[in-house]
Amino acid sequence: MNVDDILLRAVDIEKSFSGVKVLKKVGLDIRRGEVHAVMGENGAGKSTLIKVLTGVYPRDEGKIFFNGASVTINSRQDAKDLGIAVIYQELSLIPTLTVAQNILLGQEICRAGILDNGAMKLAIRKLIETYGFSLNPDAIVETLSIAQRQTVEILKALSMQSSLIIMDEPTASLSVKESENLFQTIGALKKRGVSILYISHRLEEVYRLADRLTILRDGERIAVLSQGEINPRDVIRLMIGKELRQSEHAGRMRPSRPEVVLRVRNLSRRGVFSDISFDLHRGEVLGIGGLVGSGRSEILHCLFGSDRPDSGDILFEGKPIRGTVSRNIRSGFGLVPEDRRTQGFIPLLSMKRNIVLTNYDHLVGRRLFISGKSELAMCRDAIQRLDIRPANSEIHAGNLSGGNQQKVVVGKWLMRDLKMLLIDEPTAGIDVGVKEDIYALIGELAEKGVAVILVSSDLPELLRISHRILVMRKGRIFREFSEGSVSQEDVLKAASGIQDREIESNE
Amino acid sequence: MSKTMSARVLIQKFQRPLILLVLVVVLTLLQPDAFATVSNFKSIFLAISIYGVMVSGSIFTILLGGIDLAVGAVAALSGACTVLTIIAFNYSDIGVILGILAGLLAGCFVGLMHGVIISKFRVPAFLITVATMNIVYGAAELLTGNQTINIISPASFTFVGGGQLFGIPFPIYIVALMAFLSFIILNMTVFGRQVYATGGNPVAASLSGVPVFRTTCAAYIISGFTAAAAGIVLASMNQQAISKAAQGYENDVLTAIVVGGTSLMGGEGSIQGAIFGALLVGILNNGLRLMGVSSIYHTLVKGIIIIIAVSFDFYSRNRNSGLLRTGRLRLWMARQVAILMKEEKHQP
Repeated sequence: MNVDDILLRAVDIEKSFSGVKVLKKVGLDIRRGEVHAVMGENGAGKSTLIKVLTGVYPRDEGKIFFNGASVTINSRQDAKDLGIAVIYQELSLIPTLTVAQNILLGQEICRAGILDNGAMKLAIRKLIETYGFSLNPDAIVETLSIAQRQTVEILKALSMQSSLIIMDEPTASLSVKESENLFQTIGALKKRGVSILYISHRLEEVYRLADRLTILRDGERIAVLSQGEINPRDVIRLMIGKELRQSEHAGRMRPSRPEVVLRVRNLSRRGVFSDISFDLHRGEVLGIGGLVGSGRSEILHCLFGSDRPDSGDILFEGKPIRGTVSRNIRSGFGLVPEDRRTQGFIPLLSMKRNIVLTNYDHLVGRRLFISGKSELAMCRDAIQRLDIRPANSEIHAGNLSGGNQQKVVVGKWLMRDLKMLLIDEPTAGIDVGVKEDIYALIGELAEKGVAVILVSSDLPELLRISHRILVMRKGRIFREFSEGSVSQEDVLKAASGIQDREIESNE
Repeated sequence: MSKTMSARVLIQKFQRPLILLVLVVVLTLLQPDAFATVSNFKSIFLAISIYGVMVSGSIFTILLGGIDLAVGAVAALSGACTVLTIIAFNYSDIGVILGILAGLLAGCFVGLMHGVIISKFRVPAFLITVATMNIVYGAAELLTGNQTINIISPASFTFVGGGQLFGIPFPIYIVALMAFLSFIILNMTVFGRQVYATGGNPVAASLSGVPVFRTTCAAYIISGFTAAAAGIVLASMNQQAISKAAQGYENDVLTAIVVGGTSLMGGEGSIQGAIFGALLVGILNNGLRLMGVSSIYHTLVKGIIIIIAVSFDFYSRNRNSGLLRTGRLRLWMARQVAILMKEEKHQP
C-alpha cells in the first residue's frame, strides 16, 4: 500500500465512558478518493469512532494522521479546518434560507462590509456545476426534498475544501429513488478525489458502494475487507460474532394455532407500507423484525387506531375495527409506543396519574367523581406487580429511570382486561435487569392468552420472546419464520433483502 | 412512606399562604388605619371578584398549554347580550333569567369556536384568541351601537353585582362558587385528569385513550362560560353595558394564573394557586393605592410580577429538561460559531 494514498489513518484509538471501554485499539485507514464503509451492530462503537474523528469526544489513547501528518482533533472546528466534514442524520440547515445562503453561512463573501450577492451566487453555481448536481442556488431549503437537502449539506462541506466527508446513515430517511441520487452524488465525489466514510446498516448499499469495509464489533476492529471480499454472509457473521451462531442464541419458533384474535388483510398506507396480511392468535407473541423505517411502527399505529390505513381490513375477533383509540382501548387493545418520552407517558404527572390514565372507565364507571383511594390502590397494585422503583406513587413519571418509566407505560395496560398488546421497541435504552422483567412480563401475558405483537430491532430479544417472526423490508412483509430454529443471521439477511436459497431448501 | 414532614417541606407546602400573610402584615404596619379594615378587605375582594371568576375557567385553557385572550371581549359581549335581553323583556324578572342565559350562551359559543379551531386546525391558541378577541369586541360594539347602555332596574339584576348577602357583597359568593367548582372538576373528575394529561403530553394522552378534541373544546367552553359570567357580574355592578367594559382583564387573569404557579406550557398548576395569584395582585394593587401611588405604576408593577413569574417558570423548566437546554444551547453555539467565523474572515 502506498503511504501517499492514505488520507486519514487512525491508530489504536481507545475511548471509554465511565470505565466502560467503547473503543478498544481501533484502527482505520481511509484512502484518497475511496468510499470506506464502517459496519457493526448497535453499540459496536461506530458513532463513537466518528465522534472521536470529528472532535466531538476527545480520545483517550491513539493517534490520528491526516495527509501523513500527526494531528490533534479536539473540536469540530479542528476537524473542519483539516477538511473533515460530517453529514448528520438530522440535517443542520436553516430551512428559511436559500441554498446559496446556507452553503455560505458563516463564510459569506463581502465587499466593503456589504454582502456581494452576485459573487456568492456565481461561486455556488460553479460549485454545483463542478459536481454536476441539479440544484438551484436560489431555491429555499424548506421547499427541497430531504435528498436535495443532503446535497446542500454535501456542497457546504465541499465549499469548505473538505477532502473527507463522513455520512452517518444517509439513506435512513430517503426513498429508493432519492437514495439512487445520493449514490450518484457519491460517485461524483469519488471521481473528484473526495474520500467518503460511509456508515450504514444496510448491507446492500455497502455492497454496492464501498471500496473497502471496516467491521466493528464490541469496540474492536474485526476485519477490513476490500470490495472483492465483501459478501453478505461473511459480513453478517463478522458483525454478530461466531459464538452467536450456536443454537442457544437462535430462537425456536413455537407455532400455536388456537383461535385467531386479529386478522389483517391487505393493509396499505401510501408511501409507508403496503399489502400487509397476517393473523394473530390468542396467546401468541408475534415478532416483527426489519430495519428502522421499514414501516413496522406505522402498522402498530394503524392497528391501534391512532393512524388510518389507506386501504385494507382489520378484523378483531371477527369484527372489523373502525373505532377511535379510546374505543379500541375499551375492547382490550394496548400500545407501548416506540418513543417513550414523547408518546408513552406524561412526564409532569405523577406515576399514579400516568398508570390510572387509561383505566378511568373501570375505576369511575358511571359515577361522577374519582375516588382517590381506588386510584392509589391501582397504582400500588402496579408498583407491586412490576416492581417499579422507587415505589412512590406521587413521584413525577419524568423523574423515573428509563426502565421504570417503561414499566409505568406497560403498567397502565396491565391494570385492565387486555386482549391484545402492541409493543414497539420495549427495551430501547433500558438496563439489563429491567429488560428481563419486561421479557418475563410479556411471556406471562401471552400465557394468560393475550395476543402480543412485538416490534423490535434488538435481534436477540426478537428471537427470544417471539413465537413467530415476520421480517419487513421497505414496507412489505418479506419473510415469515414460523417454524424451526431461526438465527440472527437469518433475520438480518431477510431484513437486508437477501433470499437465502439454502435455508429455504432446508425447510 | 413517612408521614412526618420536615420544616422545609412544611414551608414549601404553605409557601403561598405565607407570602400572603407577610404581605398583609407589611401593609398593615405601613397603613394601620386604612388597610386592615373590614371595608377595605371587602373592596379588595370585590375588586378581584370579576377576574377571579374568569380565572376559574381560564385556568383550564392554560393547563392545556393553550391560552384564552378573548376573556375580556367575551365579558363585554355577554354583558351586552344580558342587558339588551333584559331591556327587550321590559326589565322583567323573566327577562333577567333569559338575559343571563343569553349572556352565558354567547360565552359558551365563543369558547366552542375556540376549541374546534384550535384542536381541528391546530392553530396556536394565542393567535386564534387574539383574532376572536377583535371579532367579539366588534360584535359587542355592534350590539351596543357603540354606546353606553344604562340599566338601573330590576333589582334582581342589580343585586348580582351590587347586592350583599349576610353583609358580604354577592360577587364574592359567585367567585367562591366558581373557584370551588373549578377545584372539584380539576381534582375529582376524569375530565380534570384528562385536562392535565393532555396539557402534559397531548400525544401520549391521545394514545392512552384521552379524547383530546372533546377535552380541548370543553376547556375553552368553560373559559368562555366563566368570562361571560364575569361580564354579567360586571354589567350588573356598573349598571351599564359598554363594549369597552372589561378591556385589559385578560392581563389580570393571566397574571393571577401565572403568578399562581401554573405553567404556560401546560400540564402543571392549580386553581388554588391561581386564586392565590389573584389575591396577591389584588392586595398589591390595593396597597399601592392606599399608599398614594399613582395607578400608572400599578400596571408597571403587574408587568414586573408577570416577568418574574414567567421567567421562573421557564427557567425551572429548562433546568429540569435536558432536552430543551441542549436544543437551545446548540442553537446558541451554532450562532456563536457563525459569528466567530465571520470575524476571522474580516481580519486582514
